[in-house]
Amino acid sequence: FPLFPAADPAVISPQDPTLLIGSSLTATCTVSAGSRLRAQDLYWTLNGRRLPAASYAALGATTLSVALARLNGSKQQSGDNLVCHSRDGGILAGSCLYVGLPPEKPVNISCWSKNMKDLTCTWAPGTEGETFLHTNYTLKYKLRWYGRDNTCQEYHTAGPYSCHIPKDLALFTPYEIWVEASNRLGVAVSDVVMLDILDVVTTDPPADVHVSRVGDLEDQLSVRWSSPPALKDFLFQAKYQIQYRVEDSSEWKVVDDVGNQTSCRLAGLRPGTVYFVQVRCNPFGIYGSKRAGIWSDWSNPTAASTPRSERAAGGCEPKGGEQNSTLRRELKQFFGWVKKHAYGCSNLSIKLYDQWRVWLQKSHKARNQVGKDPF
Amino acid sequence: GDSWGIFAFLCAALCHLPAVPALNGTDELGAGQSIQKTYDLTRYLEHQLRTLAGTYLNYLGPPFNEPDFNPPRLARAERVPSATVDLELWRGLTDNARLAANYRAYSRLLCYLRGLDGQAGTAELRHSLGHFCSSLQGLVVSIAGVMSSLGYPLPAGTAAGPPAPAGTPATPNDFLKKMDDFWLLKELQTWLWRSAKDFNRLKKKVPPAVVTLRLEARGF
Repeated sequence: FPLFPAADPAVISPQDPTLLIGSSLTATCTVSAGSRLRAQDLYWTLNGRRLPAASYAALGATTLSVALARLNGSKQQSGDNLVCHSRDGGILAGSCLYVGLPPEKPVNISCWSKNMKDLTCTWAPGTEGETFLHTNYTLKYKLRWYGRDNTCQEYHTAGPYSCHIPKDLALFTPYEIWVEASNRLGVAVSDVVMLDILDVVTTDPPADVHVSRVGDLEDQLSVRWSSPPALKDFLFQAKYQIQYRVEDSSEWKVVDDVGNQTSCRLAGLRPGTVYFVQVRCNPFGIYGSKRAGIWSDWSNPTAASTPRSERAAGGCEPKGGEQNSTLRRELKQFFGWVKKHAYGCSNLSIKLYDQWRVWLQKSHKARNQVGKDPF
Repeated sequence: GDSWGIFAFLCAALCHLPAVPALNGTDELGAGQSIQKTYDLTRYLEHQLRTLAGTYLNYLGPPFNEPDFNPPRLARAERVPSATVDLELWRGLTDNARLAANYRAYSRLLCYLRGLDGQAGTAELRHSLGHFCSSLQGLVVSIAGVMSSLGYPLPAGTAAGPPAPAGTPATPNDFLKKMDDFWLLKELQTWLWRSAKDFNRLKKKVPPAVVTLRLEARGF
């Protein structure tokens, strides 16, 4: 690899500029004094692609310029690589172009508190144009009416635009929360959101979810759970929701009106089927607030199956009547057979009956070997 | 105890080994295992680096992530210790010198790596970088372990110091910084290739003969 002396072989101007999307730029590459290269020995590339010679202009013996029009947003946040090369491809100098938009006010700030112990907030960038440049987001918060500004420290806990405040949160006084976005082109501050921690409480999913059969009932399952332990010392009413689906389906059925109980019976289910069941909890009315909290995550799915029906595929008769109808069927067949094979009733005897039964067995076997009995 | 020391001395005399430092029986057995562990660590890091370098070079953007990219190596880039060395020189290295070269190189490389763009790209990339630095720190500690178990002193002045030696100017522009980053990753890669061979060589040289003779002596 060629080693260059301490002085750079060429100088590009502007060096590492920041530009708005859509703007134009003329850059120059000036070969250093000691070099034997001339303007006609140079060419430009942008992000590895050679720029057309038509956009070049020689400004003196040792300087070549290039005109770039209507720049698109930077291909990578580290900057577009504009490089000045000598004829043989060697790199003489480079400049990083930062092309993007100033940030817009971050929007959709939404927060939740897990068991009133912490606060996590998410937001969305105001515009997609911010993603071309590295944009720094800072979440700030303060107690309404007093207190100083605080800055959130733990970012990216719930996605790229999120922050987590782990402690020292006060109850009963609302917080003012906002997000500041800044990049090379400017700064933008979101609208202030005001919230009371007690209004955005969520909790863990219910614990110990058990799903079991209800005796022999083929279309029911019983679901039991315990209320989430973390909130047990707090005054609140829990609301629960259950969702369930058949094993090989992705469609969940939701049971909404479970209320405050910690058990529920699912009915109208398919017999002999495996079901997956999940439960979640909403800490409604914490400390007497009339507001709903935020639904917890669903509990891990619990599986259970409904009893299989005794009436197997095709079987239509009730259990009790089975033996009677078999006998009657046999007798009918016997008399028909007698009509054919016994002339008169005098030959009717147990022997004849036995012979018939033997005959019946042989023909039954043959029938089974051919295919399933039509009954 | 004493009997081991005497036995080791006799073995050294018989096998023309370099002077065996005063040590108890378990040290050289431990060195053998440490060398193997260090070798394994270099292979693991080499594998991790492939993914990390790919992601970081994509962050730098073309042409840095092009396969045949070969930018000039500026004089300032010389501060990154080079693994490239004359073959005869490399073969002639003493164990101490071999280990010391590795230790010095990775200590410096770790410093520079930690100085890579703190705001780089996605949280995922930053996380990968952090993880790699931890593993590289583990390698430095592992090499130090081998050196001390063989009785060699650690090279002076390589403890976690400032990222750039005094007198080196900070990188004057963003493009030159990108080139520095490129060469840092390249040099790291070359060092890991070289270290695998270094530790392979050391594995063979930590005398297994001494180990087996000692085991036989136990049977007396």
